[in-house]
Amino acid sequence: MRMSRVMLRLVVLGCAVGAGLVHARVYDHLFANSFEVPSDAPATDAEAARFLTQATFGPTKTDIARLRAIGYGEWIDEQLGMPVTPARPFVEQVIAARTAAAQNVGQTQRYDRWFWTAAYAPDQLRQRMAWALSQIFVVSDQSSSISQDVIPMSEYWDLLARDAFALYRSLLGDVTYSPTMGKFLNNFRNQKPSATTQPDENYAREVMQLFSVGLIKRYLDFSPVLNAGNPIPTYDQTTITHTAKVFTGFTYADATLGSGMPSYSGANFYSGGLTSLGSYGPMACWGTELFPATGTGSSNMRHDITGDDGTTATSKTVLGGLTIAPNQTCAQDISDELDIIAGHMNVAPFISRQLIERFVTSNPSPAYIGRVAAAFEDNGTPQHERGDLGAVIKALLTDPEARMLPIDPVENANYGKLREPILRLTAMWRAWGAQAQPPNAYGEIKMVGSTNFLNSYGQNPLSSPTVFNFYLPDYQQLFGQPGPNAPVQLYAPEFQITNETTTYTVANSFYSFSAGAWVGMTNPPIDRPLLPLSALTSYISGASAGTAAYAAMIEEANQRMLYGTMSGSLRATLTNAIQFMSGASASEKAWSLIYLIALSPEFAVQR
Amino acid sequence: MINDRNGRRDFLRHLAVLAASGGAAALVPQLRMIGSALAQTPSASSGYKALVCVYLSGGNDAWNMLVPSDARYPTYAASRSGVYNTTSNPGGLALDKTQLLSLTGATGSGSSNYGMHPSMPELRTLYNAQKLAFVANIGTLVKPITKTDYATTANRPPQLFSHSDQENLWHVGTAQDNTSGWGGSSASILKSTFPNANTTLSPCISISGSNKFEVGPGTIPYQMSSGGLSNLSGVCNPSGCSGSSGQRDVALNMMLADTYQSTLAGGYAQVMQRGRDLFAFLNGGLAGPDGTLTTTFPTGNSLADQLKMVARMIKLSRAQNYATRQIFYVRFGGFDLHAGLMSAGNSNHAALLGKVSQALNAFWNALGDIGAQSEVTAFTMSEFARTLSSNGSGSDHGWGSLQMVMGGAVQGGKLYADGGNPAVTGFPDQTINLVNGNNTNPVAFARGQFIPGIGVEQYAATLANWMGVTDTSAQNAIFPNLVNFNPAFRKLGFLG
Repeated sequence: MRMSRVMLRLVVLGCAVGAGLVHARVYDHLFANSFEVPSDAPATDAEAARFLTQATFGPTKTDIARLRAIGYGEWIDEQLGMPVTPARPFVEQVIAARTAAAQNVGQTQRYDRWFWTAAYAPDQLRQRMAWALSQIFVVSDQSSSISQDVIPMSEYWDLLARDAFALYRSLLGDVTYSPTMGKFLNNFRNQKPSATTQPDENYAREVMQLFSVGLIKRYLDFSPVLNAGNPIPTYDQTTITHTAKVFTGFTYADATLGSGMPSYSGANFYSGGLTSLGSYGPMACWGTELFPATGTGSSNMRHDITGDDGTTATSKTVLGGLTIAPNQTCAQDISDELDIIAGHMNVAPFISRQLIERFVTSNPSPAYIGRVAAAFEDNGTPQHERGDLGAVIKALLTDPEARMLPIDPVENANYGKLREPILRLTAMWRAWGAQAQPPNAYGEIKMVGSTNFLNSYGQNPLSSPTVFNFYLPDYQQLFGQPGPNAPVQLYAPEFQITNETTTYTVANSFYSFSAGAWVGMTNPPIDRPLLPLSALTSYISGASAGTAAYAAMIEEANQRMLYGTMSGSLRATLTNAIQFMSGASASEKAWSLIYLIALSPEFAVQR
Repeated sequence: MINDRNGRRDFLRHLAVLAASGGAAALVPQLRMIGSALAQTPSASSGYKALVCVYLSGGNDAWNMLVPSDARYPTYAASRSGVYNTTSNPGGLALDKTQLLSLTGATGSGSSNYGMHPSMPELRTLYNAQKLAFVANIGTLVKPITKTDYATTANRPPQLFSHSDQENLWHVGTAQDNTSGWGGSSASILKSTFPNANTTLSPCISISGSNKFEVGPGTIPYQMSSGGLSNLSGVCNPSGCSGSSGQRDVALNMMLADTYQSTLAGGYAQVMQRGRDLFAFLNGGLAGPDGTLTTTFPTGNSLADQLKMVARMIKLSRAQNYATRQIFYVRFGGFDLHAGLMSAGNSNHAALLGKVSQALNAFWNALGDIGAQSEVTAFTMSEFARTLSSNGSGSDHGWGSLQMVMGGAVQGGKLYADGGNPAVTGFPDQTINLVNGNNTNPVAFARGQFIPGIGVEQYAATLANWMGVTDTSAQNAIFPNLVNFNPAFRKLGFLG
């Protein structure tokens, strides 16, 4: 019975969206500022909320109204043009104030700012994109090399947010020169070979394996290129060894360059990081642009200008068998190398597929990946720019496979994704308009109390256990009985952090952010936002709260948290729980409803 | 339906509580018999056995764990870019010969030619007591190969030197990807010959999250935390309380028991339901004397925290006859030391190995306290060893490595270094002699990455065989490349 009700509703909505699909990638802005409804506007609040679940940290009433007024295309364009809500300057101020007052400082200051931005910043799509990119271009405070670098890590976040809609090649360059990435993957102070040592291979390997091309050659739709049935590796160990030579010579931008020609007396590769810009600004590279390759001062030249055989007579052979000439400046070497990586045929499908996994569905069709990758290859402007991440996210979110409603119980059974637990928390806050705490004496707004997100949720911003993120894009799980569908092996990255223990710890955290933090409670906490419950309690606080009032209350929760998709059985379950909660206050009934929905399998997935 | 299930859970819980309290069990001794009779009849002759996989994540620089201290030492030191000295040779990765822990080991083992890392005195003691063995030079292999064979792609495993891929192959236990791991596949096979008395509790238990090693056909690992079980806020723990919490609890149980059009929603419900079932099943016992240890474990050591939970689960499972075969998984990270391998601090290699040594030693002591030393075998896995040569302050990704096996059943105090490949055998020659950029050493590449002489499958099959996967066809099903290895070396001998 439940199934048929859902299907009926979706079929009705499906008609409305079907008409819009034709125009999904053509934005007609003619009517955007007129009284006409734009041609690509969502037909219902529910459809708008569904889109905003994919594209933001959670739908709000305000965003739903805005999206319905201007349509998908205009809304995305508006978001693409929105300035960055910065983290680093804010965190710098908070840390300065806390330090002046002899208060301890740490990554908590960065986390609080991150959660505040997710919950309240207007540049939602940009910040969501930065969140997705931070799970590809991973750096982590779990590494002792950067665990103390709170301000530089905040700047790294801002870098991702600034470049969220930039060209991929720009992003790759900024990441490569970031001292935070440099320290995390040992680019920083990596040096040309000596008699006993070789360049560090870490960045050379991971920039290719994780940030750009991956391990095997791919077609535009991400399917593997095969040779006699076998995948073809994109590079081998020899490529790594040679590429490691390219990424040498980096140090802090404010490292002391010494007296200059002819003696360079006082130059110190190991100095720097003392000025704020030096600590978080792009690294300098001590190549031939700064120091002579031979003679006096050449010992300061730390970049490797030699080629494959260790002499300056040969080129470096890198990805795809392409070469980088010997004797170049460091800047030229890096530029050549990043051009080669960014130019590889794999980048478009490799990046597009991961972004689809983060925003829409864990098991996209090859055609969907191919369409998004095509937008990566050519942004459709007269300049035909490649790697335009703004064009990529627009294609990704407006694609028919993102906008279609998963109405077929068999065909669409595996559509969508398990929502990341952190995104479920932010969605709960935004659904109910959680009230932020006032800034404290140091200007900070406490958001997360003492929550250890990495332990409880298995994820935390810029805090992955390793460079392989919280979960792998290729993580698969077997889904079986009971249920209407046959056992099936699916890509399901978020299930890598979802187990018997974390379902409990996430639930307990949701409890502390709902039952333990609401407006009007006795002794409310001062370290996290408070949920206003009046939108729910208003239905039942009168003397005559009856069946209809409970039904209306549950429907309000359905609209706000499940964008109208609540199943009949969940509705019946919640109705029973709330109605029979005799003796409970209206507030307890309200937070119980929020808490139970937050724990529900229907809220746990995004479809 | 739900009420029935809750009723059964309550009964089991009460039973567990009663059984856990010595007084009640003494007064009503048949309670434990009831517990067994409730489930399948365990095999009378099976005894209890457990494997504990200690995964060292990031690629352990194993060639500093066991070092040749005889005439080969200068070669080792030279290939590791010299002895580390914070001022005169900060790029050196070699340990000072005088700091190595000398070994005696088993008679005739040649152990005195080697020394262990100075931060591992506890494991040195266990080695000399012949409860710990080393296995070298071991790595992922399709078949025994030489350096010449390596040039042909089909002769070697895919994506060597990649963390994620090589870890995956260690978990799978073969050189080809698979949806199951060798631990989980072994557990699935063992279910028929050594059925566990209780089927609520998976034979595979992870204290460190999801892992492919413990996934097998019909086997899903139970993922616990080292902190133990915690209540679920706002509901009943376990189900069956009254008031508002009771209403919320009923609602949650109904949501989890529902069927879902979305496969992923159904999958989430199943995982959380398992969490609830296992909480109800284990919480009482784990908090009682059967789940409590008297052994002292080191603090500030996450591996020790995890192994302590393993020991508690072993004690509880044996006391309450939950299982005859169990496979545990713990994980300890931070080994990807491209930098700071030797430098001071609490995240360098010495600090990590010190924690490994102290944690395994405490685990050994705990097994002694609960009388299970001969029933439990712990072993290490790690995706690869690291380059011998330095990158300035650390090492990069290698291949062939060295692993440890510990237990009362282990024929320890020995180095197991022969995998039946005459071209690559023994503790490897650590020479790096570059001619035109290539290492003339027939078993190593330019930076001291070793071609393994022993395949992961030989190591894993030895452990699975000890657990009871003795049937050749079953072994070949789990380890499809085992047939490529010399028949005399398909078991390595460290478990007899």
